[in-house]
Amino acid sequence: MYYLGIDVGSVSTDVVLLNEEMEVIEKIYLRTKGKPIQTIQEAFSLLKGRYKDEEIQAVGTTGSGRGMAGFLVGADAIKNEITAHAVAALELDHEVRTILEIGGQDSKIITLKDGIVTDFAMNTVCAAGTGSFLDRQAERLEIPIEQFGHYALQSQTPVRIAGRCAVFAESDMIHKQQLGYPPSDIIRGLSEALVRNYLNNVAKGKEIASKIFFQGGVAANIGIKTAFEKALGTEVIVPKYHDVMGSIGVAIIAKEAVEKRKGKTKFKGFTIAQSKFVSNSFECKDCANRCEIIQVLENGVEISCFGDRCGKWSEKVAVS
Amino acid sequence: MKVGIPKGLLYWKYGVFMEVFFAQLGCEVIVSRNTNKELLNLGVKQAVDETCVPIKIFHGHVASLKDQCDLLVIPRVMRMAEREYICPKFCGLPEMIKNSISDLPMITEEPIYAQNLDQLYKSMEVFGRKVTKDKRKIKEAFHKAWKAYEESFCGIYDVGYKMRVALLGHPYNVQDSFLNMNIVEKLHDLEVGVMTEEVVPRREVNAYANQLYKRLFWTFARHCYGSGMYFAKNQFVDGIIYLSAFACGIDSVVIELLKEGIGHFPLLVLKMDEQTGEGGLNTRIEAFIDMIERRKWYESNVSSSRECVHGS
Repeated sequence: MYYLGIDVGSVSTDVVLLNEEMEVIEKIYLRTKGKPIQTIQEAFSLLKGRYKDEEIQAVGTTGSGRGMAGFLVGADAIKNEITAHAVAALELDHEVRTILEIGGQDSKIITLKDGIVTDFAMNTVCAAGTGSFLDRQAERLEIPIEQFGHYALQSQTPVRIAGRCAVFAESDMIHKQQLGYPPSDIIRGLSEALVRNYLNNVAKGKEIASKIFFQGGVAANIGIKTAFEKALGTEVIVPKYHDVMGSIGVAIIAKEAVEKRKGKTKFKGFTIAQSKFVSNSFECKDCANRCEIIQVLENGVEISCFGDRCGKWSEKVAVS
Repeated sequence: MKVGIPKGLLYWKYGVFMEVFFAQLGCEVIVSRNTNKELLNLGVKQAVDETCVPIKIFHGHVASLKDQCDLLVIPRVMRMAEREYICPKFCGLPEMIKNSISDLPMITEEPIYAQNLDQLYKSMEVFGRKVTKDKRKIKEAFHKAWKAYEESFCGIYDVGYKMRVALLGHPYNVQDSFLNMNIVEKLHDLEVGVMTEEVVPRREVNAYANQLYKRLFWTFARHCYGSGMYFAKNQFVDGIIYLSAFACGIDSVVIELLKEGIGHFPLLVLKMDEQTGEGGLNTRIEAFIDMIERRKWYESNVSSSRECVHGS
């Protein structure tokens, strides 16, 4: 029997399958590329055939695309990323006190005490300190993002890069590149700028007590981990499944939701991988709000609508 | 005479006063519609780029009204309490409007001093004379308007909820449901009640504000800080959500003061701008409410039992 967790984030979509012992059996990490539905289908087509629908006991969704994903797969729990990350970290180690999480478009800090979330903060408006910014810079420097961290470690003298704003950071980097600084120094400078920005902005005024977990896609970057340890003066732990902690957490939450309900899962099955989904968007002109409505069609039949303020569209479709 | 009143900024607090005043003078009062995407787009197009989104929205309201009325109320609010100030954008509002929007009808450009009734009357008399020469009529309209204002209550005081949060911030951020993406309804959907600063007695607001090491001379900063402290210190709510417009200078100060003042009391700051995607907002609200729920649960049965961690 298995539990399925799906985290639809801005940059990646992560799918995990947990066994009864809450161990990760399958882990799929795909780039969302702005197409959440197709990405989930792609993940399901990888699982289909290897697992039967009946073997799935519960399914949960999280991440910025959790609503749509939850509807698509028939989720038992649809939960925000903060709670999902906290649950996964606590499952691994009950003594974790601080979670630093940096994803594609969000960065957050979660403070825990005695196994509950006591405080959290997220980046407000700017994505300067997040994964997609690093991605963009890696692309610009033509260095694969996977090697970014190793480059940073090679540097002897970091260059100071402005970290507060993505636009400033990029022009600062370009100016320093033009002066001839080697890529490794610039990348280390960038890593330190990201950490500085995170600690001064997202984590400002928050207590950062050990044990500290570093989660999210950016945790794969050894350069950033090292910069965190240097800035905090203490060990930062990157869990083995740091990049899919959200999906692990929401799989656990879904399991508990089904158990609490004493019911069966609402999972719609892996067959949705074969359906043809089309999403249209249009502007509703019925009032001056001019909501942007997203209409999802499965094999030509409208199954869901999102995006309206009044509920006229989203409540219209009879949901199975 | 047709008088247009834009439904933005301080309308959310003193709209009733203006409406009754001009209606009593025999004017036809036209209030702009609730904020919507059209008005937002209109405002963003007209207003200077660097200003905050509530000011841009106000521009939208003005632009939507300008061809329907003979007199447009663009209040230049200078002062609302003795020895206090309000955001400079209010003092310069008519200039911003005049220089950004063309073909305006007559507007109320004269300053409004509202630190006491006498001052307010003097300010309003100037407006009244644009409509009538009859001083007695103006006085009468003023008193009726003031009475209507005093009898009105624009705040929110929810009862019967297991959990309640205080919604703080400049009144237009808290009251304009388009700007704040209908946060009150979102909270109600999560079975959370709402309280706003209007609930807190003025003497309490002042008492907390006066405890600061330096006199807080921004009127809205006083209200937000004082009421936030009152809510937190008396455990009148379970958490505070602070709605702040991106780039608001006053909020940047108040939020830091409030964070320090309330200590570990749950506080969530939401930044608002032109975005209409609700995902980010929903995530933050949901996680905040989750956190409060678990904290409450934990405080009422202090236990390190593993089960407390999870749940749906």
